[in-house]
Amino acid sequence: MADLLGTFGFLVVLLRAAILCCQTLAIGGIFFLTVIARRPELRNEGLLASCWKLIRRGALALVVVQVLFVVTNSLVLTASTDIPLSDVVKANFVWAGAMAILAALALFFWPAALRKSVNPVVWLPALGVLAASVMTSHSASRMEDRALLVSLTSLHYLATATWIGGLAYLVFAAKRADPDARITITRNFSRWAQISVAVLFLAGLGMSLVYVKTVPAIWGTAYGVMLGAKVSLFAVLLLLGAANFSIVKGLDADKTGMGARSLRSFGEVEIGIGLTVILAAASMTSQPPSVDLLRDRVSMQEIVARFGPRMPRFTSPNLKEISESTNEIMKKAEAAGKPLPAAFVPGQSGIGVNTPADIAWSEYNHNCAGFVVFLMGLLALLSRSNYFPWAKIWPLAFLLLAVFLFFRADPENWPMGPNGFWESFAVTDVLQHRAAVVLIIVFAIFQYRVETGRVKSMAAALVFPAVCAVGGIVLLTHTHALTNVKEELLAELSHTPLAVFGLLAGWSRWLELRLPEGNKARKYLAWVWPVCFIVVGLILMDYHESDMPV
Amino acid sequence: MRTRIAGLAVIGVAMLVVAGFVEGHAILKETTPAANSKVAGPDVPISLKYNVRIDAKLSKLMLLNPDNSTTELKIEEQKSPDTLNSKAAGLKPGAYRIRWQVLAPDGHITRGEIPFTVTGS
Repeated sequence: MADLLGTFGFLVVLLRAAILCCQTLAIGGIFFLTVIARRPELRNEGLLASCWKLIRRGALALVVVQVLFVVTNSLVLTASTDIPLSDVVKANFVWAGAMAILAALALFFWPAALRKSVNPVVWLPALGVLAASVMTSHSASRMEDRALLVSLTSLHYLATATWIGGLAYLVFAAKRADPDARITITRNFSRWAQISVAVLFLAGLGMSLVYVKTVPAIWGTAYGVMLGAKVSLFAVLLLLGAANFSIVKGLDADKTGMGARSLRSFGEVEIGIGLTVILAAASMTSQPPSVDLLRDRVSMQEIVARFGPRMPRFTSPNLKEISESTNEIMKKAEAAGKPLPAAFVPGQSGIGVNTPADIAWSEYNHNCAGFVVFLMGLLALLSRSNYFPWAKIWPLAFLLLAVFLFFRADPENWPMGPNGFWESFAVTDVLQHRAAVVLIIVFAIFQYRVETGRVKSMAAALVFPAVCAVGGIVLLTHTHALTNVKEELLAELSHTPLAVFGLLAGWSRWLELRLPEGNKARKYLAWVWPVCFIVVGLILMDYHESDMPV
Repeated sequence: MRTRIAGLAVIGVAMLVVAGFVEGHAILKETTPAANSKVAGPDVPISLKYNVRIDAKLSKLMLLNPDNSTTELKIEEQKSPDTLNSKAAGLKPGAYRIRWQVLAPDGHITRGEIPFTVTGS
């Protein structure tokens, strides 16, 4: 039963993240057509058809994920309790889901005549989708300030849709609208984007005052740390928005079309970072707000003691000194017929408290990996100058990481430990690590070929920034302590800046590749992402699981 | 087309990753009996206060007895939307656990256990 619930639980939360993305896309499209491109002369048939196609796809996807969400959550409830299905259908999430499904279906089947005239009545189902989502948000569950929080959440969702969701449609307009209409649409969008940003910021600030309440909670709780990351990414979006704004101002005088092409590239990156912020928000809704967690917070003194600058650890403890992994303990317990532990995390280094040797082992792993990333960033930085063309070999540094992972990730298995080569493949996490090693090797060779000009396609070049962006999302959203276990939170405090710099590296490289040749920003972006890599390396080299000696 | 497929793949992977680490968010703020406390039997009033509203009709309380048998605890009518109340009667001295599962209005299901010991009356 536990496995079944775990699998269903996994699916349920996956669907919640999808719901936020789909509603942003559908509502953003409605806003774009009814407000940004409201005047009929701004939208030709091609643009109208493309926009409606995306709105309807977003709505249909929303129907599918909402049906799956309601069915799965209901099954989890009936399977884990003896509550009959007839009672489960009375739950708030079922009503909210039904409302979202009906509203999204209305958007999907919206009559062709009303689609053509872009009748504002279409806001009825769009607001239905929004209301259903707010009904299942943090704000609806709160005891205090419920009306205020529901209002702020509604504004926050709406502003996200009009800005981030609307960007997808702006990219369409950059391709399909008539030249004159394109400039007007871009100007309208720019104006409304500024309003959306202001609403997003103020609504977010209002919610933070209730959910986080105090400044020390920003670094002292998991919710606060995630909020900090979200605010950092929001600042990056603002920077991109400011760049867009200056391009929009010069669109009239631009005869080369470079401005429109640059806007499209900026739009892609804003959509990417916006999506990351939405996923981070989906992850945040699963966290208890800071205001609910008053015990076990991390203080600034504890952060300084843990992460104050000190020399990296470049000497490893002996393999025999570290604790056995959970898998080994389980294997031995099973063989000896002893009872198995009641609860454990597969793949964790050991059940119980980490010994000094375990900590030293982990610090050595992080610090050495940091050195390799630092080296990679340094070489990438040198390769940007004309004096060091040989530095283009920087992707081969990934091979060092692969070798390091191969030897250090599973110390109890071949070639370091007692478990043989074939035997080690029977353990799931060892298999995962081995697969990761193969992937890293393939990626190193692939990126080396891209960097040295052996592979010339744009799609191939975009793989590296996409991997950085996904890696950043992984780090940003993983390992959240439901309660403030201090050690987990301290680890998260080091991983969150890594995630932010990883995302910055990926999206700056993406923008460098995608901006048209004549755009001056490319020159600066070429230096930004290697510097981000260097910073990631330095953070990893300062990663510690023990406090500084006083 | 290839770019589109790659884009969808990136979004899919990102969402899978986010989902993998997301869990429910209802947490206990106060409990009676308190975790790891000693209480006098045989009748023990139970009160669990959460950080969010709870759907009592779709939540469940179980008592794990010292002999590993289980008893379902009847949830009383909610006095406050964030609190579940019940009563365990006729408890003999020994180690017990309250196993709870709650549903928040946002659809999150959360579970947990509260260990406590019953001493003689």
